[in-house]
Amino acid sequence: MRNPIEVICFFSRFILVLILLPGARASAASIPHGTVDFVAENQWITPGGQTYFGLNFQLEKGWHIYWINPGDSGQPPRVEWHLPSGLKTGEIEWPAPRRLGTPTIVDFGYDHAVMLLVPVRASTTLPTNRAVQLAAELRVLVCREICIPGKTQISLTLPIKSMPPEVNVQTSELFIAARMSLPRRAPGEWKFNVSDQKDSFVLTAKLGRHMARATFFPFEESQVDNSAPQKIMPVAAGFQLELRKSDQLLKPMKRLKGVLEFSANQAYVIDVAIN
Amino acid sequence: MKRLIIFSMLFALVVLGTPQLILAAKVGQPAPDFTGTASNNQTYHLADYHGKFVVLEWHNNGCPYTQKHYNSGNMQKLQKQWTAQGVVWFTIISSAPGKQGYVDANGENTYMAKMGAAPTAALLDPTGTIGQSFDAKTTPQMIIINPQGVIIYDGAIDNRPTDDAKDIAGATNYVNLALGQALAGKPVETAATRPYGCSVKYKGSWF
Repeated sequence: MRNPIEVICFFSRFILVLILLPGARASAASIPHGTVDFVAENQWITPGGQTYFGLNFQLEKGWHIYWINPGDSGQPPRVEWHLPSGLKTGEIEWPAPRRLGTPTIVDFGYDHAVMLLVPVRASTTLPTNRAVQLAAELRVLVCREICIPGKTQISLTLPIKSMPPEVNVQTSELFIAARMSLPRRAPGEWKFNVSDQKDSFVLTAKLGRHMARATFFPFEESQVDNSAPQKIMPVAAGFQLELRKSDQLLKPMKRLKGVLEFSANQAYVIDVAIN
Repeated sequence: MKRLIIFSMLFALVVLGTPQLILAAKVGQPAPDFTGTASNNQTYHLADYHGKFVVLEWHNNGCPYTQKHYNSGNMQKLQKQWTAQGVVWFTIISSAPGKQGYVDANGENTYMAKMGAAPTAALLDPTGTIGQSFDAKTTPQMIIINPQGVIIYDGAIDNRPTDDAKDIAGATNYVNLALGQALAGKPVETAATRPYGCSVKYKGSWF
């Protein structure tokens, strides 16, 4: 080819095509000390169906973002959606968090990387054979020792087709990994009990086996003391976990709801009556 | 040189000031007593304010949540409004040297003048002694002590745990609510909330 400018022009057409390729991964938006990538699980949206989208956060070493209950400080990411009519988001699905912090201040969140899942339902009347843009304004607090609030616009364009959905191979691994990190529904044969004991709640779990390690993350703030160590004691066919009550808990509680985690990718949602 | 001596004396006072191991304070219980040196060079003793309502405000000028309430003028408004009614207001800075929000006396005085802050005094707590005796976790965290020395409110400044100043209008301000009820002789309805904001940058914390 003749001169460098022409070469660039020639190749830039292909790059443009790649960017506009439907279902391709959108370029990552930058947030303080990291990036967020807005990705789709399927190659197109099918009217009457549900498609999962992901907010894939990558953070620099040492920086973290927050779970739905941030713990002692911090704030979860907030998303304001701008969707075309006929598309509706469901509740964000949050992977099990980690305990982050010091002996006295404990937060719940994610460091390194996390993908939040967002289900989007398409109405049956959504017109096909065109593309739609899903956009949102994302606000996120990113912290290490200090916290930096960030705000960014994310968007993704996907075609609407009447054909059954097909998975986007470029993103499917991300979705598989994200689903594994989600807390699951506890098996029906597991029995839980929570007793109210003045300064603490004692959660008894009968799983039919011994468990050496367990961490409870309450969905609601101001119920459990976040920084108090959670003492685990073996009982027949299970364990007991002592959860110190929050100083902010002044009214009696009826149920204890949250995530019980045994190890990475081994977390369960529990909702237990307190007696 | 003279300034250096005064500063070292100040620092010694703060460092050597009565360290005490007390269980963390709780709503309904007596507030742990403290002695603190303020940016105005005066020493304040909590016990001297028996008979008055006292507000404690944890502060870090680099924290986006503190900035939300100062850049909007919200905190200064509260300080003026309540000190005008005889309430004592201590801004407390528990950031350790080298950590976000740490200031010396001059730095804090300059900041307060620039922001139009109007607390009774800003206490410098670089050792975190006062902060830890109250188990202060965030900035801004607010604690209210009644004239009998009992903690009647501990928690957030309001019910919108964000760093966005737009959220101030229309928020329920828990300090106004608690002081309003307490000064009217009524029990404080919302006595404990989750304090929101940045973690207090104590000495030794990496977080």
